[in-house]
Amino acid sequence: MQRTLLDRIDPVAEDVVSLVLRGADGPLAPWEPGAHVDVALPNWLTRQYSLCGDPTDRETYRVAVRYDPLSRGGSEYIHRFLRPGRALDVSLPRNNFPLDPAPGYLFLAGGIGITPVLPMLRAAVAAGLPASLVYAGRAAATMPFAGELRSAYGDAVRIVTTQEHGRPDFAALAAELAPGTLVYCCGPASMLTAVEAAFPPGQLRTERFQPAPKVFAPDQAFEVACARSGRTVQVDADDSLLNALQHAGVPVSSGCREGVCGSCEITVLEGEVEHRDDVGADEGRMFACVSRALGPRLVLDL
Amino acid sequence: MTTHVRTRPRRLSLDEVRAKIGEPEPMLENKKIDHIDRFARMFIAHSPFMSLATADAAGRADCSPRGDYPGFVKVLDENLLAIPDRPGNRIADSLCNIVENPEIGMLFLVPGMRESLRVNGRAYPTDEPDVLARMRTEAKAPALAIAVEVTEAYFHCGRALLRSRLWDPASQALADELPSAGEVAAAQFGVDIAPEQFEAALEASYRKLF
Repeated sequence: MQRTLLDRIDPVAEDVVSLVLRGADGPLAPWEPGAHVDVALPNWLTRQYSLCGDPTDRETYRVAVRYDPLSRGGSEYIHRFLRPGRALDVSLPRNNFPLDPAPGYLFLAGGIGITPVLPMLRAAVAAGLPASLVYAGRAAATMPFAGELRSAYGDAVRIVTTQEHGRPDFAALAAELAPGTLVYCCGPASMLTAVEAAFPPGQLRTERFQPAPKVFAPDQAFEVACARSGRTVQVDADDSLLNALQHAGVPVSSGCREGVCGSCEITVLEGEVEHRDDVGADEGRMFACVSRALGPRLVLDL
Repeated sequence: MTTHVRTRPRRLSLDEVRAKIGEPEPMLENKKIDHIDRFARMFIAHSPFMSLATADAAGRADCSPRGDYPGFVKVLDENLLAIPDRPGNRIADSLCNIVENPEIGMLFLVPGMRESLRVNGRAYPTDEPDVLARMRTEAKAPALAIAVEVTEAYFHCGRALLRSRLWDPASQALADELPSAGEVAAAQFGVDIAPEQFEAALEASYRKLF
């Protein structure tokens, strides 16, 4: 964790505030476009936010937060109660959405999904690569950073207000996509679904900010053997692997506890895993908060 | 050892009570408001614990503890609260009472804070998806919530918490003087089960809080 002080909290669109967090103990950890941090709130909740500031600024991190009317206490707390001067612990940056090398980029952002795209677009343009952004939102007033994007990047940025013009024509965008161009999309689930249907999977990178609705086999009890510590831990059908490991005293870090943030990644040595996360586990890895064993036993590198 | 009370304690009328304690300052009546103002909202947003007083149709009263992360009781608007109903022992005394008699009283505490918040209102059980969605913890939403139409809210002064030294860490030594829950249960239930075994089962059940 890194100690920060909340420098500023400013409205940047209807129901969206931007937070500038200043490192309390000197420079903050470096990060690459696409990275996010966990912010530990005073009400014990931890929330993940994409870094949307300038990666060369090592003094501060910037995030933007949309107020969710169905808030469980994260965005509501930030909007109603956080004030400048408040100390906030922030994790080291993690990147589940890195900007891979490509000859060109098409960025697709929906609403608050603009946040990881801001530093990506800046980096791509700075590298002299062809890059464009289609930024969709309900109405202009609800779309943070739309004005500054237009003034910085001109016609490379297309703003689509869906209330007036409907969703961007993703099929048309896919049809004119240059070979090798990578498509980065962050937005609400409905947008991701439409984008996933339109673009070739090999050229598409996505990030969700809410777990995707999924259906799984009923939860079964299983056993995990921790190869390094020699411990064996039982995971009941109504318990999570993360919870069982933590209660058994096996140290595993954790964040969102719902398969979005990627904090609780662990290495699987043996056994078949049903991956239930939205991060996308690499080969031989799993996220302990939501994913489970398909069989009776897993061997973990713990 | 026996306690010698030869007669029942004397019962007083309200007049006799007033004669002893006097009348409240008229100003104090003004601190009762009929809605959740910004201070009450802030208090509830930081409160991880609340005690919930209910009564059945006959007026038989009951009080039960409710706890979760701070802000677990949701302020839906300035006249409406929602309390998650997390899994418990399924006896559901509070819910049974509320269905018979909607009048409830709540006392919110914030650790470290001497003042407490009292909120009274009329309650009913609900399974409104938008309300339950706001209570999701570790990918689980409660099956039920208690909606409360607020009629009264007021801050209670800190004397009781000061006298009780409730937030003084040294006060926690009191717990060491008590038998464990396992010992109590083994004795009360009159079952032939080792207290340690009961304690272990209880600890296991405490692992799954949501």
